[in-house]
Amino acid sequence: MGCSVPANYPNYEAAMIKVATAFDMQLEYMEGVACCGSPNLRAIDYMGWLIVNARTLAIAEKNGYDIVTPCNGCFGSLKDTHHFLKHDDDYRKKVNALLKKDGLEFKGTITPRHFVEALYNDIGIEEIRKKITKPLDGVGIAIHYGCHVLRPADVTEFRPEYLDELIQVTGASVVEYPIWKQCCGATVLPVDENLGIRLARDKLKSMKESGAEFITVVCPACGNQLDLQQLGLKESYGEEYNLPVLLYPQILGLALGMDEEEVGLSMNRVPADPILDHLTG
Amino acid sequence: MAETKESTGPPVTLIDPIEMSKLDTKFREEIHSMPNGEELSACFACSTCTAACPIANIWKYKPHQLIRMILLGMRDDVLSSDEIWLCLTCFQCQERCPQKVRVTDIFFDCKNLAAEEGKVPQNIIGLGKELLEKGQLYIVTADWEREDMDLEPEVPGLAVDPVKNILKETRTGKLVSGDK
Repeated sequence: MGCSVPANYPNYEAAMIKVATAFDMQLEYMEGVACCGSPNLRAIDYMGWLIVNARTLAIAEKNGYDIVTPCNGCFGSLKDTHHFLKHDDDYRKKVNALLKKDGLEFKGTITPRHFVEALYNDIGIEEIRKKITKPLDGVGIAIHYGCHVLRPADVTEFRPEYLDELIQVTGASVVEYPIWKQCCGATVLPVDENLGIRLARDKLKSMKESGAEFITVVCPACGNQLDLQQLGLKESYGEEYNLPVLLYPQILGLALGMDEEEVGLSMNRVPADPILDHLTG
Repeated sequence: MAETKESTGPPVTLIDPIEMSKLDTKFREEIHSMPNGEELSACFACSTCTAACPIANIWKYKPHQLIRMILLGMRDDVLSSDEIWLCLTCFQCQERCPQKVRVTDIFFDCKNLAAEEGKVPQNIIGLGKELLEKGQLYIVTADWEREDMDLEPEVPGLAVDPVKNILKETRTGKLVSGDK
């Protein structure tokens, strides 16, 4: 689960668990899981970052379960560590020598996965379609996938189509916009806040101009950035985007017939209740 | 037809002269031996990475120039540059590289070398300190929000001590204590 989702997005956490339960997907909180440290830790302390994430992977291996996460940050760190240690014998030996004192060893036998990829591959679009009771009426939703779920593609093994189809199965349509691959700017905020805001603005503008009415994200950092910066842009520049940002399981949850409280809609910064007007059935 | 202005002085395309005596010829091998640095020398400076970068327009040194600077041995210039810290880590440069140079990963390597010399933006040190002292980056402050969603007030399973203990022994520990 990581640290950002539980602290900042309990609605994401709850909606994800409820959606999983609706499809009999068993998710359990992982005992002993640690904060991934984020790309900032990777930047200043590669070895520390590697050990922290190898430890989490090694615990999951010991338990024999894949790790499923709703956060692109955790996903990116775990995937990168997994990929790197599988291919680099020297580092794997170094890291395992340090994990040994806790009775752990990284072997690379389990896979870290993003929740939406698990939905797509383990449940499947057709099974999801069967349970949609309140389809959306074709309303346009722009997808912000987030950098660390898409790239590097040889590491993340994630395809944008997963999320496209997961949106379409709810009845909504996916709004294409020119800079769909682009970063939301969240990672650069600690170094240059204005640059981070500019990047968020570029994205929001591109989405709005392409006709999106809502945005969906699968990452707490991207979600926070695109949602919260809209309030800032309104205050500082008088620019209003009115693009509610929904975590994907909120959208699917509503289409499965959950009510707005169950998916925690009131916690979204830009009021997200207009989505309710688009539910049919 | 527009008239071409007679230019005076050096052509604008010329870069500042490179001080040969300051070059560190081992720098390329250093990066080469770091995580995902192997493909470095495959770069032929096509600048596709720069075309892919959403913020290269504000960079003094563009991504392809930084790679070239590494190959030339301009160690100090690269490790003191703001660019390596402004990198969004969005991996667009790396993804598009026709030579499979792991550009973003190499910038991570550069940041680690800069960090070893203590050259880290203050706010990033702050994040390291947070991890070292609290074992996580985001701490639950509004547990009532969790309870509203029928979740346990404390995050089940999350362990903070292992992060503290690991980072105490690695570079984070040194960076944070050196900062005090």
